[in-house]
Amino acid sequence: MKKNHKMTDKMMIPRYIILTLGLLIMIVPMLYMVLSSLKDNDKTFIYPPVLFPSLSELSLNNYQYILENVTFFRYLGNTLFVAIMTVLIAIVVSTTLAYSFARLDIPGKKIVFGFIISVMLLPGLAMIIPQFELAARMKLINNIWGVILFYAAWVTPFSTFLLKGYIEDNVPKEMDESIFIDGGSIFSVYRYIIIPIASPAVAAISISNFLYPFEELGWSQQILKLDELRTLPVAITMFFQAHSRTDWGYVFAMTTLAMIPVIAFYLLLQKYFISGMTSGAIKG
Amino acid sequence: MITIADKIIKKTKRRLDWRALVIFLPGFLFVFIFTFYPMAKMLVMSFFDWKIGFNQVSPFVGFKNYIDVLSDPIARLSIVNTFAYAFVTVPLQIVIGLLVAVLINGIVKGSVGFRLGYYFPVISSWVVVALLFRYIFSNFGLLNYFLVDILHLSSEPIGWLSSRWSALFAAMMLGVWKGVGWNMVVFLAALQAVPKDQYEAADIDGANRIQKFFMITLPNIRGTMLFVIIMLSIGAFNTYTPITVLTGGNPAHQTEVVLTWMYFKTFNAFKMGYSAAFSVIVAIIIILITITLFSLSKWKRRD
Repeated sequence: MKKNHKMTDKMMIPRYIILTLGLLIMIVPMLYMVLSSLKDNDKTFIYPPVLFPSLSELSLNNYQYILENVTFFRYLGNTLFVAIMTVLIAIVVSTTLAYSFARLDIPGKKIVFGFIISVMLLPGLAMIIPQFELAARMKLINNIWGVILFYAAWVTPFSTFLLKGYIEDNVPKEMDESIFIDGGSIFSVYRYIIIPIASPAVAAISISNFLYPFEELGWSQQILKLDELRTLPVAITMFFQAHSRTDWGYVFAMTTLAMIPVIAFYLLLQKYFISGMTSGAIKG
Repeated sequence: MITIADKIIKKTKRRLDWRALVIFLPGFLFVFIFTFYPMAKMLVMSFFDWKIGFNQVSPFVGFKNYIDVLSDPIARLSIVNTFAYAFVTVPLQIVIGLLVAVLINGIVKGSVGFRLGYYFPVISSWVVVALLFRYIFSNFGLLNYFLVDILHLSSEPIGWLSSRWSALFAAMMLGVWKGVGWNMVVFLAALQAVPKDQYEAADIDGANRIQKFFMITLPNIRGTMLFVIIMLSIGAFNTYTPITVLTGGNPAHQTEVVLTWMYFKTFNAFKMGYSAAFSVIVAIIIILITITLFSLSKWKRRD
């Protein structure tokens, strides 16, 4: 046993070297972005590029420009509002549907579930044409709800799929029956059994749904044409295009600012991130 | 909706709890309106020269849109590009992600730190990292500096984003870079679920690490592998933002992928019917891929 331990200790060194090299590839581009955001705009075009600029070259001028000239906090507020509403709608829709599919006696539910799975497999933007027409008819163009409702609809299939699996695996049917024996209805089962037991899965799903508006560009670009409605991905893209694609210092100051809430969110909830990513994966 | 449901209940003569419908119907209606209905509508639109304007007539054109798509060189090019993107990024992400997961799984100190670091690109927004890669891959960017001035692999800067395959290469590298962390996390969870006694039994038989990996680890994570392959393949077909930000489909539409081309045809050329037909074709491709992957995994299991 002891010999084994020494062996593994020695084998650890190459592991750490490989892992550290890989980690550098992951981290260096992000550091480069932050460093570039601290350089004057004209310096971001100097060749050869300076990976480690001297301290005197660094300033917060770009950040000052962004905060003074771009309504950054409005974009952030819009994104947060869309994120929270998307999460809430997705929770209601996916928990009720997942409970129905897992437990309730509803005719044709297998067919409906099959449809939901096939929607899950299609790329989100593939339905953009009929969905855009629907949004136009519902007067949801240039309306923040035009983004919220469709985001919720896009994330629902996967959330429902994961939650249904979670309920089937983790909520024993005996618990449902104990509620029925006490005279409770399926409402009580939903409220007092399903929701509490499934809450870790709900949290994990909600986290990835929350980040969706910080990612999505194609749909929001078409729906949110008014500047004051824009979410961060649209605002960043528009800003990039408006600055003749050259003011990299400004652009990176804006992207770095946009990353801060996401990173804070990640560091706060990292435990749930991992379980959210893996809950659907290990079975099978 | 209620009356139709009532009829079904009477037909099946099951005693149905009305409360079940109260729980089921709101969510069902939501999904029906925002996804099922558009899905059916897409199929209908693909047979019309669809006009989105008010009071405009959309004539029925039969299979013309499908013929247009299939005979359009750019549409075919975008399908080829998407497949190329999938064929490169899916295996690379899996191999690197699994390698990192195996390495992290074996270490004691610092595994949380490595996990955080490798997961970092996953949480970063696509718009942000695509802009960053556009800067790194630009003519006088960091990558060319390394290749020309430090490694002397090229005598002059390479115009990465100005020709088809080198621009797609940049997009692929971005996709792998951003996706490795997700694969790492998923495989790490799968590795931790492999029963330890199987490794102990292999130790007694004198198996080396490589044998253990192929004889024990891989068969045990097969379910996860299938899940990852399907998710990544769908993800590859979902590629929109990186191409839009890196190249915008240029030069001359040479770097279009299916979604960017569909998007262009919809919102720049207003060819709704064409785009709908294209969507249907892409959907069929994805469904075929998924069915193939599922049947392959079942066929292998029977051995």
